[in-house]
Amino acid sequence: MDTAGIDPLTGFLDRHGCLRNAARLTEHAHRDQKPLSAIWVNLDRFRKINGSLGMGGGDAVIAKMGDRLRSRNEHRTHIARMGSDEFLLLAPAHGCEEAASLASELLQLIAQPMEVGAMSLYPTCSVGVASLEYAEEAESLLQRAEHAMHEAKRQGGGRVVQSGDEQLPGRLGIKLAREELEVEHKLHAALQIGGLYLHYQPIVGFNGRIEAIEALMRCELNGEMVPPVKFIPVAEKTGLVIRLGEWSLMQGAMQAKRLSDLGLPTKVAVNVSRAQLTAPKFSQALYAALLCSDVEPRLIELEITESLFMDVSELVQSNMRAAIAMGVSLSIDDFGTGYSCLATLKDIPAGKLKLDRAFVVPLPEDKRVYAVVKAISQLGRELGMTVVAEGVENEQQSCALQDAGVDAIQGYLHARPMSADAVTGWLDHQAALLKA
Amino acid sequence: MTTETAQPPSVEEIYARTVLDIGIPPRPTILDILARELRSGEPDFGRIAQCVSEDVSLSAGLIKTANSPFFGFRIRARTVSHALTMLGINIAGKAIAGVALRNAFPASPALERFWDASARIAEYSGHLVGLLGVREGIRSDDAYTFGLFRDCGMPVLMRKFPAYRDTLLRANANPDKRFTTIEDEDFPTNHAIVGCLLAQSWSLPEEICLAIRHHHDFLLMQSGAISLPPASRRLVALAQLAEYIHQQHSGMNQTEEWAKLGTASLSTLELGQVQLDELVAQVATRSAQADID
Repeated sequence: MDTAGIDPLTGFLDRHGCLRNAARLTEHAHRDQKPLSAIWVNLDRFRKINGSLGMGGGDAVIAKMGDRLRSRNEHRTHIARMGSDEFLLLAPAHGCEEAASLASELLQLIAQPMEVGAMSLYPTCSVGVASLEYAEEAESLLQRAEHAMHEAKRQGGGRVVQSGDEQLPGRLGIKLAREELEVEHKLHAALQIGGLYLHYQPIVGFNGRIEAIEALMRCELNGEMVPPVKFIPVAEKTGLVIRLGEWSLMQGAMQAKRLSDLGLPTKVAVNVSRAQLTAPKFSQALYAALLCSDVEPRLIELEITESLFMDVSELVQSNMRAAIAMGVSLSIDDFGTGYSCLATLKDIPAGKLKLDRAFVVPLPEDKRVYAVVKAISQLGRELGMTVVAEGVENEQQSCALQDAGVDAIQGYLHARPMSADAVTGWLDHQAALLKA
Repeated sequence: MTTETAQPPSVEEIYARTVLDIGIPPRPTILDILARELRSGEPDFGRIAQCVSEDVSLSAGLIKTANSPFFGFRIRARTVSHALTMLGINIAGKAIAGVALRNAFPASPALERFWDASARIAEYSGHLVGLLGVREGIRSDDAYTFGLFRDCGMPVLMRKFPAYRDTLLRANANPDKRFTTIEDEDFPTNHAIVGCLLAQSWSLPEEICLAIRHHHDFLLMQSGAISLPPASRRLVALAQLAEYIHQQHSGMNQTEEWAKLGTASLSTLELGQVQLDELVAQVATRSAQADID
């Protein structure tokens, strides 16, 4: 008997057999103008099951899973085993709604407790559903179903996601999702093995005073740097940003405490993301960081991204009020680019306004930009805020900014971001210069 | 149980006070030295042994840990160097952190009871790994360390807020709300977040920090969400089971946590009711044997 294309464990089609079958079913569906849906099922935590029961136990689970799928196949779907813990059901004559309802039934079917040896397992699965689109090829249909399954897994597993309901649907989504998964993996790994650290960049007043040092998160894994523009958005999507935020708050607070103990009391400015400020546990984490680091709250500043202007909700306001009540100061980061709304400015109890580098780069030549900077500086002063310009690289820019009424600058002109030890040395050197 | 509960101050009042009026145990220097030696790739055991030996209670604690039954060494450590060699530098680091944690807080009768309970839960957690096997990379010493540090935010808050004990009693007795939610209602923070950040500042591994952060989060445990990685989930489940077994044995200090977290913990550890009953008996035997040893 020819068993090529058949999975020996379950008796279903294997990946190769499935691809041939999918091409045939797709062709028929297009020819007969009938719907066709693909349902990709992935068992959650299978690695863990394999790890705890051994390969034999893992096989037993897969075989039982196969029996379940076979015993309840009233819809006469074509079932295939696509990988160690992955099944694909091709359902001819099933449109989006029928396929989604079938997928929900599968979810419940699989979630029944399963006895394997002496163990009781509580299996769950992630399911992705895609329905054939006009002139679509089989490969694309399967890819979309798999992508939707990954989204279900990303959302915590034990659920069904339909293709198109992901945040970034389609092929671009598949490519980006793969990149994001890699970055997410790197972030987790970096957090585990100490590949995350903070660098610090000084903010220096025109009066020579060190206003603060801004803490900037760096991620390095196996000698490779993952740039913040890549890892911050992924962290924000996955919810990891909350823990990363707590991590950097604590590290920043500890650095502020170290500097203070060394007789170099300097404010440390820590970036706070929108996700953190809209999280209900924000003030608890801030208070805990102050408590555990034993730092004076006046030495901590929270840099709030300007995108918060989009929605200054009651929760955000109450989190900001709590921070101020603890003695921590606030500053508004990247001001003037995205969502700046002057009416909202009054609702944010910040003591500092940081002008985005977009206002610095065209200086000193661009007179219109100069006029805007001057107006914002005036506004900041009227509101009792210190105005800081970011990304200052040369003396000409610095002079123009001072002339426009800016109070302090941050950028390569004074110092690049540097390690905790290096910034301590830098501050020590500056203190010695002042004394001399 | 006290009948007179002081009205907790408002959150604004608490914020208004400085947070500086309490000494939080800073990361002991010995942990910095250990971390440096570990990073160097070729740790100098002699130097580490010398630093540990300078602190009598740390030395005694490390030797006691090396000789504790769940490591199962046939020989007994007599010196700090011997204990370090037996445990290996990684495990020794966690053992030293555990001893240093207890030493970092001034002794008081109430705290002694707290540490004793933590030590017992830590020990049971270690035993459980011995019985259930190493999964998700969680070994006995990881489970033991997590057991010790899981509630380390509590002594911090006890020292900071005199009324915290009353809140603890109420949180222990509440069958519905998250334990930390009760704390959040009375104070500006809770022991899970404080414990997580304290552990972070002591450079404990991230899976332990995260497990401390979420160890009362029964919804997160039930949901299987990826924000709590499998290793952390396993640590929470092991310690919760250890606490349940401890309470079964001692018959004291019953809390509502098993009702909230028990099912998710058993599911995480892939255990049924029959296996649970067996484990309760096995851990009792093992622990009694350890006490005799």
